[in-house]
Amino acid sequence: MEESEPAVKNKKRLKKTIIDCDIHNETPMNEVKEYLPRFYRDMVDSFGARNVSSIYLNGTPSGRLIEGESRPRSASPRTTKDIVNHYRSKLLDPFHLEYGILTASDYSTHTLPDIDFAAAIASAKNDYIAERWLAEDSRLKGSVFIPKQDPALSAKEINRVGSHPDVVQVIVSSGAEKPYGHRFYYPIYEACVKHNLPFTIHVSMEGLGMNPAPTGAGYVTYYAEYRAARPQVMAAHLASFIYEGVFERFPDLRVVLQESGVMWIAPALWKMDQDWKGLRHQTPWVKKPPSEYFRQNVRVTSQPLEIPPDRELFDKLLTSIHANECLLYCSDYPHWDFDSPAKAFPKLEDGLWERVFYQNAADLYGLPQRKG
Amino acid sequence: MTKGYVVGKVADIPAGSKKLVEAGGRTIGVFNVNGVFYALRNVCPHQGAELCKGLIKPYVVSSGPGHFEYEREGEIIRCPWHQWEFDIKSGCMIIDPATRTKSYEVTVETFGVSVEEGDIVVHV
Ligand code: FES
Repeated sequence: MEESEPAVKNKKRLKKTIIDCDIHNETPMNEVKEYLPRFYRDMVDSFGARNVSSIYLNGTPSGRLIEGESRPRSASPRTTKDIVNHYRSKLLDPFHLEYGILTASDYSTHTLPDIDFAAAIASAKNDYIAERWLAEDSRLKGSVFIPKQDPALSAKEINRVGSHPDVVQVIVSSGAEKPYGHRFYYPIYEACVKHNLPFTIHVSMEGLGMNPAPTGAGYVTYYAEYRAARPQVMAAHLASFIYEGVFERFPDLRVVLQESGVMWIAPALWKMDQDWKGLRHQTPWVKKPPSEYFRQNVRVTSQPLEIPPDRELFDKLLTSIHANECLLYCSDYPHWDFDSPAKAFPKLEDGLWERVFYQNAADLYGLPQRKG
Repeated sequence: MTKGYVVGKVADIPAGSKKLVEAGGRTIGVFNVNGVFYALRNVCPHQGAELCKGLIKPYVVSSGPGHFEYEREGEIIRCPWHQWEFDIKSGCMIIDPATRTKSYEVTVETFGVSVEEGDIVVHV
């Protein structure tokens, strides 16, 4: 097989395998629905899957890279087996993935007011992914979908599938009815800690379905604005975890912030630390500077990585977000704003490269060292 | 070499209260914490506010979200500007003791009179 161009140019660096923490495997409803109970399967057949149609544009018509990349066009009807092979040939093999964390596609589950239906879809997806993806390739690791609208049902689902050996995290969208530090969600965190699964907040579904507007100032108009607003939603979740004292209550909980930007975290931590000096006594359960909780309990994935105008600034910001411990590489394949493992970062010194492209993820997800 | 400045009578500063005085060309806050006197320079090490004009408070701690417990009653002064908390006994910022304002030794000279009528002496 031909190696893709970036992999060839950066052969030296990518001789070492990596862990990619955000791979959007497709979850075609025609296969997922086989895992639904009959009533909901009939409902999907009759009425459709009640996906929230996009009210905003995306970067490409499908949101995916345009190169026939994400799906084999010739395969008809296309099965998950074909799709897995396609991911192998376009991502796993050429980019030398030791492991890839699957984050699936279509987060509509997190927007539905019909919570039982949301729970049924989440369960069906989890079973579909375990059987049709995780069992296909030992490099692939999975995320648990939950109906986060209902923490009790969510905990039930985590308890049902959370001990599957290839499941490594619980995933939700950033769009939420309440900031994720709220005690409403505690049953989810109890289950996460019990199964030793990080809780990953992936951008998406802000302003859709039952989730509130995508910014505190209401609905924005354009897709670029929507993207620009992502950090504010994620920043609200981050501050919520810290100030609500979630990490005091669940010291072993790990939270991953995914795809809402990286560099904004530096000034957000500076601000929270500064405010904490004067406001500590209002939330005395916050016992350490907020940046310390970030360092201990929070991780952030890299894509889409912002590149500041000068290299020195880039390095300083990485230091400020504790990249050495907290930053995890991800590609977001097959989405249009994909970050190539060979090209998205400027050259990093070897120790830091190893942390970001392998060890931080291995530590977080309990993944072994490279084979051979 | 320190010099002693008589800044008032014991009865002027009852327990839990404070008095701003001039001594050695400086403004100094004299505090009575449960019968023991302490003195701090009236300058916050952060941005220079008049630290000793802040609120005297206990140290608020917590066993978990929604729980508030009080410790060290009357030992903390919160700067009137950005509310950083300082230990009245040492002048050190609570969460970062390296950040501190100067503290001075305080003695009570009774010269045979009752303690209430004794002089409070700040050593600057
Ligand atoms: S000046 Fe005292 S806390 Fe800022």
